[in-house]
Amino acid sequence: MTAKIKVITQFIVVCLFTISCKHSDEHKYHTVIDKIEANTVEYKGEISSDIYNETIKKVEVIDSDFKFLIPERKSQIVSYKCSECHSQPLEKLKEHKVGEKAAHWNIKLNHAGPETMNCTTCHNKNDFDHLQSLTNSSIDFNFSYKLCSQCHQKEFKDWKGGAHGKQLGGWAPPRLSNTCVNCHNPHNPKFEKRWPVRFNTTVEKERE
Amino acid sequence: MKTLKVFGSLIKDAFLEVTHGSRAYHIWMGVLTLIMLFGMYNYSIQLEQGLSATGMTDRVSWGLYISNFTFLVGVAAAAVMLVLPAYVLKNIDFKQAVLIGEGLAVSALLMCLAFVVADMGGPARLWHMIPGIGVFNFPNSMLAWDVIVLNGYLFINITIPLYILIMRYQGKTPNPKIYIPGVFLSVFWAVAIHMVTAFLYQGLQARPFWNNALLGPRFLASAFAAGPALIIIVLAIIRKFTAFKIADETIKKISMIVTVAAQINLIMLISELFKEFYAPTHHSISAVYLFFGLEGKTALLPWIWTSISLNVMATIALTFHKIRNNLNILYVLCGMLFIAIWIEKGFGLIVPGFIPGPWGKISEYTPSFVEISVTLGIWAMGAFIFTILAKTGIAVEMGQLVYKKK
Amino acid sequence: MSETNKKWYSLNLNRSKKSESCGCGSNSGGCNSDKPKDGFDQIMDISMSRRTAFTKITAGLLIGAGAVSSSCSIIGSDESKEKSAMEWEEYFKGNYKLMTDEEKDKSINRLVRSYELNHGKKINISSKNAEENVLFGYAFNISKCQGYMDCVNACVEENNQDRTSEMQYIRIHEMKDGKGFNFEEADDNYYHEVPADGHFYMGTQCFHCDNPPCVEVCPVQATWKEKDGIVVIDYDWCIGCRYCMAACPYDGRRFNWKTPEVPEEEVNKNQHYLGNRLRKKGVMEKCTFCIQRSREGKNPACVEACPTGSRTFGNLLDPNSTIRWILDNKKVFRLKEDLGTEPKFWYYMD
Ligand code: SF4
Ligand code: SF4
Repeated sequence: MTAKIKVITQFIVVCLFTISCKHSDEHKYHTVIDKIEANTVEYKGEISSDIYNETIKKVEVIDSDFKFLIPERKSQIVSYKCSECHSQPLEKLKEHKVGEKAAHWNIKLNHAGPETMNCTTCHNKNDFDHLQSLTNSSIDFNFSYKLCSQCHQKEFKDWKGGAHGKQLGGWAPPRLSNTCVNCHNPHNPKFEKRWPVRFNTTVEKERE
Repeated sequence: MKTLKVFGSLIKDAFLEVTHGSRAYHIWMGVLTLIMLFGMYNYSIQLEQGLSATGMTDRVSWGLYISNFTFLVGVAAAAVMLVLPAYVLKNIDFKQAVLIGEGLAVSALLMCLAFVVADMGGPARLWHMIPGIGVFNFPNSMLAWDVIVLNGYLFINITIPLYILIMRYQGKTPNPKIYIPGVFLSVFWAVAIHMVTAFLYQGLQARPFWNNALLGPRFLASAFAAGPALIIIVLAIIRKFTAFKIADETIKKISMIVTVAAQINLIMLISELFKEFYAPTHHSISAVYLFFGLEGKTALLPWIWTSISLNVMATIALTFHKIRNNLNILYVLCGMLFIAIWIEKGFGLIVPGFIPGPWGKISEYTPSFVEISVTLGIWAMGAFIFTILAKTGIAVEMGQLVYKKK
Repeated sequence: MSETNKKWYSLNLNRSKKSESCGCGSNSGGCNSDKPKDGFDQIMDISMSRRTAFTKITAGLLIGAGAVSSSCSIIGSDESKEKSAMEWEEYFKGNYKLMTDEEKDKSINRLVRSYELNHGKKINISSKNAEENVLFGYAFNISKCQGYMDCVNACVEENNQDRTSEMQYIRIHEMKDGKGFNFEEADDNYYHEVPADGHFYMGTQCFHCDNPPCVEVCPVQATWKEKDGIVVIDYDWCIGCRYCMAACPYDGRRFNWKTPEVPEEEVNKNQHYLGNRLRKKGVMEKCTFCIQRSREGKNPACVEACPTGSRTFGNLLDPNSTIRWILDNKKVFRLKEDLGTEPKFWYYMD
């Protein structure tokens, strides 16, 4: 009799074991957030985004706790340095002699209203090679985000953190993010409507 | 050694037995063979084209095959329910029914397995499931459980009747000490296969229509109505076409089981409907779709209402002794119940579980021609196997097949 | 795209079978040109006609008939002998999860070699394992998504999905403002200029649940969660039961109902065993966070393709990653959180 009971108990123990096995390691954490928090460690592995970013010229953003890369800008602007033309006063350039190429003629400012912004809100009348902040301190073209961030504080915060704007290269450090002007045209920051590049799947005819 | 010889001789005799019979018998078997061949041909189309030959899509990814599988598991489970009174309570009445019941269980199980294989995208890779050479996700996957319990059940249901038949064949009385434990096990197991099959669906949090505590018990109730109902019909046919004696009393007792099960099933159905429609939540949409259709999509309406009305009518009629005890009416009622539950477990359970899909989209399901043919083929196979088993069994029981020592 | 592949709306009652008789009788390639090939065939194919014929005869009777037939047949050239030997070995290989590194390499060599024999081109199949201290996660900004669908295109091209059935891992749902996340009323098949006024867009795909129900239910462990959190499928191990599909609450999985077809010149040859290598019919597949890219440090193709920056991918364990910043600082949520599946795919708004 006792032998029988023993066998049964053993059987039950084995059963419980099989059932509880499943919970041993995997289910140590209640939620995935717990798991993430418990295992957080700065990534120091061998994977790096450098190889994917090689071809892009970069500059580093350092702002409070954030440190990351953005594409360098000045080399991408066709007619930089500006002072190559803007050595003469604006009035003189505006006269526009025949035979001379017109520049900037197609730019129409469509960014906030005229009572808020005009060219000189951002461009420095006296130093064309730099931008200027609202308080007239000079801002490098590479770091134009500083200019945008004066008004767009919320977006700026999100951008620094990574919630706004696109990350280039890979997920691994070092981080390289697009800067504001890589996507938004500062003179016309809104995006136009356009056609999607394809249909969504037509496989199932679903509830319309 | 001797057992083997007896077994060999039984097989030989059985072969002779099943190849000889009346003209009606031959026509019956011939027709079944034709349907089977037709089903097989269509299955070869499915093998070649892939499951796109069926009506299933990413949205409704299980259809006719799995519906029939689910239903047949119920039939298999219920067939054995008759075993208990027969063997244990020494109720002589039931004994003939039991042999038929176990034969039914075996053929239902083989059909189940055939349906599962037909439903696989890669039947050639099914060996991945065999423990030892494959990988078996036990105990996590309910499907793994299901494979185990179904095969175990098949094994039990083959061995017990085989033992009894072999003993009878030699003119001996089977030893109850040997088969009674097996009988108990198989009754317990019958409940298990059905619960496990219900858990297969019940355990999916993704499908609120199935994720419902009543599913398992309801499976049982409806199975214990449909299975014995089928047995009654089969017994009636056997009584008509063979010399096998089946007392009215046996059929009436079985009809008792059918009635009680059908009543319980109906109560559970009401309970389910109440839950879905008294306080409808987001999760009731599948039920709304099933019973009333959604936004003009009404493919299931005719089916489910046929099922419900047949079910209700049959159950009410069965409840009255007078009606039930008229055997001719009883057969009709059993037929109605069987069809009602077949629809309910098939179109009424599996398909709406997928509709609407995870993102609320409705895409309907209609089985394709290939799918229907394969399904018919598998049913024909089941009937074929059952006929063979029943014919042999009856011959042995009636003492027509006896082991001759040479 | 042939008519027969469009099973979606029709009853199929009089499905006309494509004629695929092939009279050339040659054993080594050549005569299978007009037959759609699945991934397996594209790689492994010896002689479709022979195999098909054999399969048809033994249909439903002989398990594994295809492999047996082709390896037992008497074949002329050495090349096809080599192929059939490889096919045989491929058929009997084990579950990737349980393979040793050596076995993985062998299997990959076979796949690469077969593809080379058939197409004269090299493919590159990786078996790179998960990195230490990496757990992948994804964040989606519903304020930014404009419904351009660039992600879907990129995904299809990157992951060699079946072109004829238009299989897509990603769905973009167009939702009406003011209706909440009402998936029932969302338009998934829009085709007009985007973003439509008064609408917002929300993408779904496999969420790589941390407690994935799809993995629990698979009877043969053909799908599992890798150490870096990616839920993968071993295409050669899956038996096509579709239980996982029923178990997924997020419509994350796609099934190859028919032979997937990818034009040879469009095949992405940079592959991973668990990722975008060519599939065969009758197996499950789904988003793998572009395992062939993410394990190398790149972003998934959808993230790279999205012009709006709505999609963020990264290492959840790294406190300096952008995805972590989003989780810690934005009001994030996930879909159907009450199911306890713990998706590693978060949504947030500006
Ligand atoms: S979203 Fe679906 S397929 Fe993806 S891991 Fe979760 S349950 Fe599995
Ligand atoms: S379809 Fe494949 S991956 Fe999904 S549960 Fe079945 S065997 Fe597993």
